[in-house]
Amino acid sequence: MSKASFVIRRLLQLGVTFWAVGTVLFFLFRLMPGDPTAFVVSAQMTPEARQQVIESYGLNQPLYIQYVRFLENALTLNFGRSFHTNEPVRDVIWTYLPNTLVLMLSAFVVAYILGIVLGVLSGWYRGSRFEKTTVVTALTARSLPTFYVGLIVLWLFGATLGVIPMSGMGTSGQTYDTFGARIFNLDFLHHLVAPAAVLAFYYMGYPLLIMRSSMMEVLSQDFIDVCRAKGLSERAIMFRHAARNALLPIITAAAIALGYAVGGSVLIETVFGWPGLGREMVNAVLRRDFPVAQGTFMVLAATIIILNFIADLLYGYLDPRVTYD
Amino acid sequence: MSVLEVSDLEVYYETESAPAQAVDGVSFSIEEGENLGIVGESGCGKTTLAKAIIGILPDEGYVNRGSIEFDGRDLTEMSEAERRRYKWEEISMIAQSAMNALDPVYTIHEQIVEAIETHRPGTGRTESNEIVAEMFDLVGLDPERADDYPHQFSGGMRQRAMIAMALALEPSLVLADEPTTALDVIMQDQILKRIGEIQSDINSSMMVITHDVSVVAETCDRVIVMYAGKIAEEGPVEEIFGNPYHPYTIGLKRAFPNIRQSDQDLLSIAGYPPELTDPPSGCRFAERCPIATDECRTVEPEAQQQGDLRTYCHYADEIDDGFRSRADDPETWEETEAARSTRSAAEVNN
Repeated sequence: MSKASFVIRRLLQLGVTFWAVGTVLFFLFRLMPGDPTAFVVSAQMTPEARQQVIESYGLNQPLYIQYVRFLENALTLNFGRSFHTNEPVRDVIWTYLPNTLVLMLSAFVVAYILGIVLGVLSGWYRGSRFEKTTVVTALTARSLPTFYVGLIVLWLFGATLGVIPMSGMGTSGQTYDTFGARIFNLDFLHHLVAPAAVLAFYYMGYPLLIMRSSMMEVLSQDFIDVCRAKGLSERAIMFRHAARNALLPIITAAAIALGYAVGGSVLIETVFGWPGLGREMVNAVLRRDFPVAQGTFMVLAATIIILNFIADLLYGYLDPRVTYD
Repeated sequence: MSVLEVSDLEVYYETESAPAQAVDGVSFSIEEGENLGIVGESGCGKTTLAKAIIGILPDEGYVNRGSIEFDGRDLTEMSEAERRRYKWEEISMIAQSAMNALDPVYTIHEQIVEAIETHRPGTGRTESNEIVAEMFDLVGLDPERADDYPHQFSGGMRQRAMIAMALALEPSLVLADEPTTALDVIMQDQILKRIGEIQSDINSSMMVITHDVSVVAETCDRVIVMYAGKIAEEGPVEEIFGNPYHPYTIGLKRAFPNIRQSDQDLLSIAGYPPELTDPPSGCRFAERCPIATDECRTVEPEAQQQGDLRTYCHYADEIDDGFRSRADDPETWEETEAARSTRSAAEVNN
């Protein structure tokens, strides 16, 4: 099977997955107890006015009609309006998703670069003090909840030493014309560094440990002996051959982990007052704001699904043994 | 003149307890253009010896004593950087299992060029490509397929590619560790022939490590029989397999079916090689030897020259006074110390 038809087939699978996720989400929220109109309808309203509000959201329609309309709208990326603020869900996502992505991606890039390099070195220098120290550090980092480390960092560097801001992603009162201008300035970086560092510390352990064991496995293989017999330099063997082979399992792991990271962003966003999608999603659920909750869940699902797809393609590119069938 | 001169070499591995004496006091030499075979059962130190010569011992392995002289220079005294220049350029290897001896994520072409460029930095792209094509041609592979990845090759093709890579720099010495074990007999024969042809073309010497006596018989001029880290016997192929003096060689020979005497009973050498962290003080083979005496269990045998053979056995001189016929009789092998203890262990289990 050619690469092109592989990509097309995977894209079709992607569509089916999206449909399944959307459907599950749609019915799940309707099964939830509680009246979603409680926020928009007040007891003082006349029954007519109340009915009008419910109709304006289409909630008087039978469930299957609502479902079909939901699917139609989803195709055009229209997830309706918030019950709470009446803002289009698309705008809500556009406001909060980039904030989450900036935080997660910067933490991820740092974590994976550090994790991979330290993993390669600790696999290579097996049994050394360096290896033991990194493994213990990585395990510790993986075992500490991010919100806990986050609180300590806030207390120490924010409240006690005063070197980092306590909350948010910018000093209030400042406005920027574009998204780019907002994130590429020192004030933003100053706000970003603490939550990103806490996350990076946590995420780093995973690639580090995988890379280390993957290195050890690769180093025990015969071709490494041949590389050494060829008179290649240590560095060439370590990076060009051993690390290059050991990297393969990291790719899928990284893509999946990034998806989950975006989904799990709520903790760190809450601790550091970061206006991101995770925090918004939890708020939407608590308010029974179906459209916003549905929309944000769809976005998180999409992140995981798309990253998996990218991982599949990357894997085929990095490992010549992978065939597309 | 000798290409390689190994003297009194000891290679040890660090273990939790005492060091494992994997190669213990081994001396031999390889002449220019000569093929030397090393035979012995698994764990007798063959591969360790090869790794020490090529300089790829694992971290826990080290040369405890002795020297490995290549072209008159002691490789064990060299710095890592200096030693690296000798690797592949002068001493290359054909790895034990060709299936895993090539890096799966690079093409064969890239892997051969890597060796060329490491040792001859000035080599241009065209020239390297020519070398690869020429080597592929020599080993009987289609040069068009040099850009394939290892997994696209069959086992036999991979072994040929490995040989092409090993000989690309025309080294003076090639160490072939079980070069054909993974192949079927027909492929094995073709590959051995091909190695022989190329080798005589570039006039390199070869050290063939194997547990397969037939491979040695086919390719080698001289053989060393190793047992538990030591040389048991050394000499020309015809002598070693025709008229051996060491009981271990006699046993090995009788353990393989003989096409000329197909009705002959095969014997099996009972027991296992000794623990190398705590080797016996006398002859290492004593426990499994059918003619061992108290002297064998306490005194280490010195080398004895018997014509062209060098034999490490106390009774090499007296071998014709009944010892040979006893060592040649499967029945006496049933009465060795090792055989008796195996039997009594079996009885206890029953």
